[in-house]
Amino acid sequence: MSTPQPEISNAPVVVVGGGIAGLAATRELLRNGLDVVLYEASGSVGGMADTHHDPDGFTYDTGAHFITNRLATATGVLDQCRDVARYDETVWLGGRSRDYPTGLLTMPRYLGSALRERTRRHAPTPVSAADWFRHEYGAALADQIAAPLVEAWSGAPASELSPAVADKIPGSIAGTIGLTLAARLTRRAVAIGYCREAPQSANVWHVYPERGVATVCERLAADVADSVRLRSRVECINVSDGRAVGVRVAGRDVPAAAVVSTAPINVLPRIVEGTDVLEPYRRFRFRPMVFVNLQLRGRDLLPCTVTWTPEPQHPFFRLTETTRSMPWLAPAGRTLITADIGAEVGDEHWAMDDAELGERCIDALAEIVPRARRDYLGCHVTRITNAYPVFHLEYEADRQRLAHSVGVDRLLSIGRNGEFAHILMEDVYWRTLRRARHLAATLERRLVSAA
Amino acid sequence: MESTRCCICGTRDAEPVGVGEDFEYRTSPDSFLTVRCERCGVVYLDPRPVRAELTTIYPDHYHAFTFTEDRFGFVYRVRRRLEARRLLAAAGSLPPDAKILDVGCGDGFHLELLREFGTPGWQLEGVDLDPRAAEAAAARGVLVHRGSIEELDLEADGYDFAILVQTIEHVGDPAAVLGAIRRVLRPGGRLLVVTDNTGSLDFTVAKRRHWGGYHFPRHWYLFDADSLRRLATHTGFIVDELDTMVSPVNWVYSLRNALDDWAAPRPIVDWFSLESPIPLAAFTAFDWLHQRAGRAALLRAVLRRPDEPSS
Repeated sequence: MSTPQPEISNAPVVVVGGGIAGLAATRELLRNGLDVVLYEASGSVGGMADTHHDPDGFTYDTGAHFITNRLATATGVLDQCRDVARYDETVWLGGRSRDYPTGLLTMPRYLGSALRERTRRHAPTPVSAADWFRHEYGAALADQIAAPLVEAWSGAPASELSPAVADKIPGSIAGTIGLTLAARLTRRAVAIGYCREAPQSANVWHVYPERGVATVCERLAADVADSVRLRSRVECINVSDGRAVGVRVAGRDVPAAAVVSTAPINVLPRIVEGTDVLEPYRRFRFRPMVFVNLQLRGRDLLPCTVTWTPEPQHPFFRLTETTRSMPWLAPAGRTLITADIGAEVGDEHWAMDDAELGERCIDALAEIVPRARRDYLGCHVTRITNAYPVFHLEYEADRQRLAHSVGVDRLLSIGRNGEFAHILMEDVYWRTLRRARHLAATLERRLVSAA
Repeated sequence: MESTRCCICGTRDAEPVGVGEDFEYRTSPDSFLTVRCERCGVVYLDPRPVRAELTTIYPDHYHAFTFTEDRFGFVYRVRRRLEARRLLAAAGSLPPDAKILDVGCGDGFHLELLREFGTPGWQLEGVDLDPRAAEAAAARGVLVHRGSIEELDLEADGYDFAILVQTIEHVGDPAAVLGAIRRVLRPGGRLLVVTDNTGSLDFTVAKRRHWGGYHFPRHWYLFDADSLRRLATHTGFIVDELDTMVSPVNWVYSLRNALDDWAAPRPIVDWFSLESPIPLAAFTAFDWLHQRAGRAALLRAVLRRPDEPSS
């Protein structure tokens, strides 16, 4: 073991980025008795968990977020949340809505191919997402529904994606039926199959902040206010002898006991100096998304909160009528439907004028909501460059390695973008806590051995 | 609210267990989280109210201040007999002038039992943080020290027997409390601990939200047999006895909390209370079945301070 350097062991842990992961890590490290400084490049915290309110009374969150009563309690915002009474999903296919998966399996072609697949004796281990879907659902359902959806949100053919893209949350059929029943009985949207870091139960249900998702980060930021430095871009993370030792902020070198980064994993190699072990992450890709928030007259226009649209005639692959689950996010008698469009930066949809995007979505929406054109009021468009990690097979081995460690001592890469993981907010939170505690224990051991 | 850590290992390496509210007294609009220490198995509230909030979370009509014969009738009389038997069994053979300390004495219920059913020469003293409890106990004619056992300067090696009945789950630092009791016990002196059991079936069934033993937000640290043994050893006690004890209370409260949470009709919710002999009797019988498997609702430990003089 190398001799610890006293001036470094007195240095704070530096957290890079003030989204939910950075803020939760900061709070947990502080609670473990460490000195922490969080640098956020922009003028406000929140990162991707951001909210925009318009003068007409609509609230738009950057993408849809799932928050449970458990996460809201752990972060301290439950008193600012309301219960979500219902949450459901459907697939729009052949001109009508079909429950997933029971409704689909009543269609003979899907049932037939699913049964054929399930009764195969020796199924080979799936090497791509396309294989995995065929094995799991049968060729018909896989090729007509699952593959188009995953391709829309990944921007690559399912045959070139890792089977991990379809990683299911474990759960038994009986358990799922029980939770569905509990949701009916309690009139709460029990969270089913969305979190792997903490157990699901009839008593964990969806809630949502009255003022939008930004509430969560605002609360965390208030708890760690003394440690947050806004408008402070971390220009570089210094690595020496395979260990993170500091950062450069606004031209000034700041020593660090450890660095916790929430930067997208493909950005990290560009800001880390002193090692090239992060180079493989440079080619990791995120799928950009265009979210078109359509304002309409009326309520409950779609059959479910989320409607998947795998057929090629739709520019979007998913529609979310937010007000079915969170009625307070739009004024009375108005609704909000968010159309998710997979894009690449600079492509047709990315570059399209907002009003034209709205028109294109309304045209396509008319198949599902015939009155959409008549009731259309306008739209608010959000473009996100890092919406989803793309699990491309070309870097699958590096991705699996990253899941264990970023490869530099005392450098953590956390959060949805930092871990390059398909995880929702609650998983980000519990995972971050666990990693922060592990880091705290490591630093404590080092201090003890130094003393 | 303040963040907390495991009272044995001092880390925060814990996993979420349950989320709930103050279903019984509604003293707070907040929701609370319990976590379980991955190392020690202790279940604890994190974060928890700060000390300044104690008068809010223990309202004037809190049952420990108002458990009277007038109000609870038959249940009161049954409980008195049962508890007296249990106390005397744990006390073992004490000298006729034994000094006995009840830590977290509430309204003095247990001290009064010892006076009524025990030896007349026993000197009975209590400790309680809450002035309302201390007043109620003083009204029963026992000597009450107001404050926390860690901060009070009670005579070292001075007591023959101490009891900590349904108190350890309420305190901010159980290890410090046991340490302080160990200091005031004479060498060889015994301590009876009774607390809610997280190794029970009612915990397994209701731990995600409605478990009666949570008493959100008043119960801060909760144990099963293993974690209580670990705490006892950690604080320098020898474990003489450790078993479980039948109680219908957590079953009744778990059910009541669930019904209340799901907005069941009020009369049904209210029927599940400590004033209703039928559910109490039914769950006593039910819990008795689990006692055979060591999974009854309460934990009972008799700890002993080792014989060597205190350092």
